[in-house]
Amino acid sequence: MDPLLEQLLAGFVDEAQEIYDRVTRSLMELEKSPAQGPSFDELARGLHTLKGSSATLGLEELADFAHRMEDVVLPLRGSAQPLPGPLADAILKSLDCWMARLRATAAKADLPDLAASHALLAAVKPAAPAKAAAKPAEPSAKPAEVAVDLPPAAAANDDAQTDSWRVSTRQVIALLHEVERLREVRLRLDERRRDLEKAVLQLDRLGIQAETAEARAVLLGVRRALGGDGEEAADIVASMEDGLKAISTMPVRTVIDPLRRAVRDLCKATGKQAKLSVVGAEVSLDRRALEQLRGPLVHLVRNAVDHGLEMPDVREARGKHPEGALTIRVEQQGNMLFIEVADDGAGLDLEQIREAALRRALVPPQELANLSTQQLHQLVFRPGFSTKTEATEYSGRGVGLDVVRNQIQALQGHVEVQSVAGQGARFVLTLPADLGSSPVLVVRCGEHQLGIPMAAVESSRAARGGDLRVGRSRVQLDHREQLIPVQDLGALVGLRQPEVPADGQPLLILQSQGRRLALSVDEVLGDRELVIRPLPVEVRDLAAWQGAATLARGELVLILRPDFLVSSDRRAESGLGGTRRALVVDDSLTARALHRTALETGGYLVHTASNGRQALEQLRHSAYDVMVCDIGMDEMDGYELTAAIRQRTETDSMPILLVSARDSDTDRQRGTAVGADGFLTKKDCVSGRLLSEVGAVIARRKGAA
Amino acid sequence: MKLQPREPNDVAPELNELLVRRAERVRQKASEVDEENVLWVAEFPIGEETYALPLQTLRAAVPLKMVTAVPLSPPHVIGILRFQGQIVTALSLASLLGGRGWREDPAVLLVVDPGFGRLIALDCERIPKPTGLPHALVEEARARSTGAACEITLPGTRQVHLLDLLRLMDRRHGQDKR
Repeated sequence: MDPLLEQLLAGFVDEAQEIYDRVTRSLMELEKSPAQGPSFDELARGLHTLKGSSATLGLEELADFAHRMEDVVLPLRGSAQPLPGPLADAILKSLDCWMARLRATAAKADLPDLAASHALLAAVKPAAPAKAAAKPAEPSAKPAEVAVDLPPAAAANDDAQTDSWRVSTRQVIALLHEVERLREVRLRLDERRRDLEKAVLQLDRLGIQAETAEARAVLLGVRRALGGDGEEAADIVASMEDGLKAISTMPVRTVIDPLRRAVRDLCKATGKQAKLSVVGAEVSLDRRALEQLRGPLVHLVRNAVDHGLEMPDVREARGKHPEGALTIRVEQQGNMLFIEVADDGAGLDLEQIREAALRRALVPPQELANLSTQQLHQLVFRPGFSTKTEATEYSGRGVGLDVVRNQIQALQGHVEVQSVAGQGARFVLTLPADLGSSPVLVVRCGEHQLGIPMAAVESSRAARGGDLRVGRSRVQLDHREQLIPVQDLGALVGLRQPEVPADGQPLLILQSQGRRLALSVDEVLGDRELVIRPLPVEVRDLAAWQGAATLARGELVLILRPDFLVSSDRRAESGLGGTRRALVVDDSLTARALHRTALETGGYLVHTASNGRQALEQLRHSAYDVMVCDIGMDEMDGYELTAAIRQRTETDSMPILLVSARDSDTDRQRGTAVGADGFLTKKDCVSGRLLSEVGAVIARRKGAA
Repeated sequence: MKLQPREPNDVAPELNELLVRRAERVRQKASEVDEENVLWVAEFPIGEETYALPLQTLRAAVPLKMVTAVPLSPPHVIGILRFQGQIVTALSLASLLGGRGWREDPAVLLVVDPGFGRLIALDCERIPKPTGLPHALVEEARARSTGAACEITLPGTRQVHLLDLLRLMDRRHGQDKR
């Protein structure tokens, strides 16, 4: 057996056992109370799911057998009488037989014969045709005695699964949080190691090497040991995380791949043609949620083929390709999961929905006339709803979309439907996803590491001058005989002015919402399997970011939203002619934030750099009206940076305001000597004062010119 | 080595006298600070001024390191960081207060629980020190104030701006919406 199918089958045995338990409970309740209400719905849903899921796995005999059980039970829906004892008995025995056969299939053991159970079901099957609105027919009072000698499935379960544990999701999530904390401890170890390094350097600078030799040797030893401990801690964290991920998640494809077979078989049976495309199947999700999604996805795909897609000749007559397009798109955004099942068929027929609602008395006629299109669409999720007047093997029993909705709601999610007549329907399942990971491409842009969901990355290549079409306002890339727009990631996220990609610079070809874009980045760091978590409320509304994830060393990486990157309606920055531009250079994050606050209040477009080297890099590509620069920076201080800027002809007259935590005449004089136009202490950097000083240095430069 | 307690006779008389006087002063201070009538706050400087926030809102003071900047965020957002498994936003307090100058670049983040069910981190120039503010003065100042910080004048004309984190964040939220 195919290993994937084997794995799926093992999962299905567990799922079927749970359904078996629920159906058994419902049957016993319905022996004592009228055949209607939630217990009957539970019974009908359970049998329907057993049928659909086994068909999806290619277990035709089991699907057919479940179908026969439905045939016996469903005509009784709505009866004021309890289920006749012999009928309930027959279904229970048949269920036992069904489970035994499923277990034998999974265990590759001898399969129990179903013939006796078929005979048992035939004996109790009600005589009237299956029609939900009709008065339920009474089953024959006493079935013929047929021996079905099989152990109940529950008993069979006793000796199974002894090599596994049931662990609650909450416990796994709690463990994941503990791993997160461990990772923070590992980061702190790194910090301690750096502090020790600084202490050793300070001792060196004091010029008392001989006296402190022993102490320094000890410190260096501790630093080395901390480094080793840190690496080991990182390995342990990574290994624990991988283990927990393997326990708690699995790729979506394990559920989606078998649907291809279901679509094929259903097309053969109905004479339709369809192609199933899947986007995002590599996303890994909470194993428990995925198991519960199996049923809803089966229903939606079968519905799409049976109800949605037209016959090939009808499609051709309507100007469509004879082969219908089915698409499943899976996307995780922060802690939300979106699964879209779409078809390009006829769409939901509002008239048929109205007729079915009337026929099944789901809505009073007066109310029905006032329902909006959206409200009519919602009717398809009512229990017992079906637009088909006769049941087929695949649909028409009124069991299906209500199951989908209930199962999604049980996962604290919701389902929406959008439909355009003649163009198709889209069902969007939205679910919370505490667990799960997605493949992400990590890139570098300036000093920032950013993530792009791999689902949006079509390919990557290096920029070559010959392939770029550089116009006045835009750059395009000649890619596989198509011209696609080029954007600089740094400019898109407001870090710098747009730049034309240099020769050899990496370009990512992205696709999202039917749009393509070549995105230039500074470096591709590689793909990672990351758990994307939502951003805190204060920054959650930013359109650019989908969430954040933690890299192996513990640093957070922001994940971009592909639709933000490809959309063309929010390019504010580059087109702002006349806006004054300021470059803020400071190694303190908070100082940069404060200068930005003040300057943006004054109408400046602000770019920032955290050190002198980055500032020079920014100035190589862009022009600024003013630079506000900290003096006390590591590597290259404000004086050195100012001097370097004054040596370049392009920037020799750019106004520069130096800021410092210290207020000393020496600093002011030194600043003037290297070419700065003004000096301000950080304690004087209140909004108005900074702006007036910036205005003053600009005016001084203009005056000098 | 086993530590032995010091006998009173081991201490020189003048030193003993000094210690007795010191203990007396500490006892006096303790009786002056009526535990029930003070609000314990974490006090810290922003530029030339002294600010404080109720100690009960403070969860941790951590070094301002490993913060990931969030491009395109409002200017008062310094970035995001991980704190005990959560992702927390780090905000510039000086910026939230409308642009204040500062003496030294903030090196500390105060992780606080403003009371709306999630943590935030605020930057701070130095590790704050705990101190008690008389309840009567706090209530009086709060009654006068409608802003995010109420001004409390302590005996000796020392002024402390007591932050109301909920108001501070509400005000910011309002500005962001506008």
